[in-house]
Amino acid sequence: MSFVDILIGIFDGFGVTASVTLWGMAYAVPFALIFGILQHFTTGPARVAVTSIIEFWRSSPVIVLLFVFYYSLPTVGITLSGITVAAMALGLNIGGYGSQAVRAALQSLDPGQVEAGKALGLRRLQILVLIELPQAFKAMTPTFINQFIQLIKGTALVSLITLSDMTFRAKEISQLQYDPVRTYTALLVAYFIVCYPATIFGRWVEKRVAVKGRSQGEI
Amino acid sequence: MKFNLAFAIETLPVILSALWTTIWVTIASCAGAAILGFLLEITRRSGRVMSYVMRFAIDFVRSTPLLVQLYFLYFVLPFYGITLPAFVVGIMGLSIYYSGYLAEVFKAGIDGIPNGQFEAAQSLGLKRFDIVMFVIAPQMLRNIAAPMGNYFVSILKATPYLAVIAVPEMLGEAMEVASDTFRYAEPMLTVGVVFLVLAVTVAHLVRLMEVRLLKSARR
Repeated sequence: MSFVDILIGIFDGFGVTASVTLWGMAYAVPFALIFGILQHFTTGPARVAVTSIIEFWRSSPVIVLLFVFYYSLPTVGITLSGITVAAMALGLNIGGYGSQAVRAALQSLDPGQVEAGKALGLRRLQILVLIELPQAFKAMTPTFINQFIQLIKGTALVSLITLSDMTFRAKEISQLQYDPVRTYTALLVAYFIVCYPATIFGRWVEKRVAVKGRSQGEI
Repeated sequence: MKFNLAFAIETLPVILSALWTTIWVTIASCAGAAILGFLLEITRRSGRVMSYVMRFAIDFVRSTPLLVQLYFLYFVLPFYGITLPAFVVGIMGLSIYYSGYLAEVFKAGIDGIPNGQFEAAQSLGLKRFDIVMFVIAPQMLRNIAAPMGNYFVSILKATPYLAVIAVPEMLGEAMEVASDTFRYAEPMLTVGVVFLVLAVTVAHLVRLMEVRLLKSARR
């Protein structure tokens, strides 16, 4: 098999890699928004509870989270498909990191924004949705893109729970061909092809956000 | 199979026996990643051509999964007659992967030093090596303590990846127990709890060190 053939063979697994990534985002984004906002608003015991949940997902190694849920859920009578378990474990881990970006972005806003909203007679929820979140969104976008890349790379782990993603395909090809040099080089190239555009896009967004932020400060 | 709590507790000593492996692999990888990351960043600054080459190298390392990099080292090196013990390959893999991230941290740290410091050192007739070691590095370390500490915690959380290349760290030990007894849920849950406690403790210690460092800097 030539290098290109191997690369095409590896991309047979792209569907699984992509669907774990997208389902993972479906867990990560709501988790990050809800828990980031909750951590920003709560105080006392409620905040400790929210922080503990975030810390659980954020501080556990993602490979361990995946194995714990994959092997433990069936013993308590919950059987989920491999893709669902992987999307949940990987997604909520990334969501834990994302929640910190949401909280930091909300906290970095000028308190005058909330006060102005109150002076206009808006309710707290209206202030959050209409004033705080749209501004915070800009600050958290670069982190979200970086976490998205981390999630794509994290999906390589699903090959360990027998889902046939790109890494799994590469392992199969390597066993059939006994050509680890070309196969694993092709696998590195395959992930680079998938992730690098996101890296470039993230850098572009970061630059835009930074420049805009500065010009607003100058005015 | 029902979840068996007594068995989960029984696996604890076995898993904890690998705690030292996890810890020293983490320390070695932190040192490796920091040294390699610093070299990457210094090389990136040493000329126009090198800056493009190093930038691409750093982007490549950051755009491919750690798991795949580990497979690459583990399966490709022996093909060229280089057979290393698994833990050496593991430490190499973690060092290379995180050097890409630490290089960016060093970049930010060096960029944060005022240009006058370089110029003053040059006007005093210091050689380039002396400028880097005695003028830039000490000031940079203070700038980068916080992000570097976070990456060191990330390295700790990445050590269970080494289980897939048969390094007997904590997850590896847990998988051994699992495949011997055909019970996966209990050892996985135990190793999950141990890693969570360890990661939260280390993260807390890193934060305490940051606070102390910032205080001493303000003197």
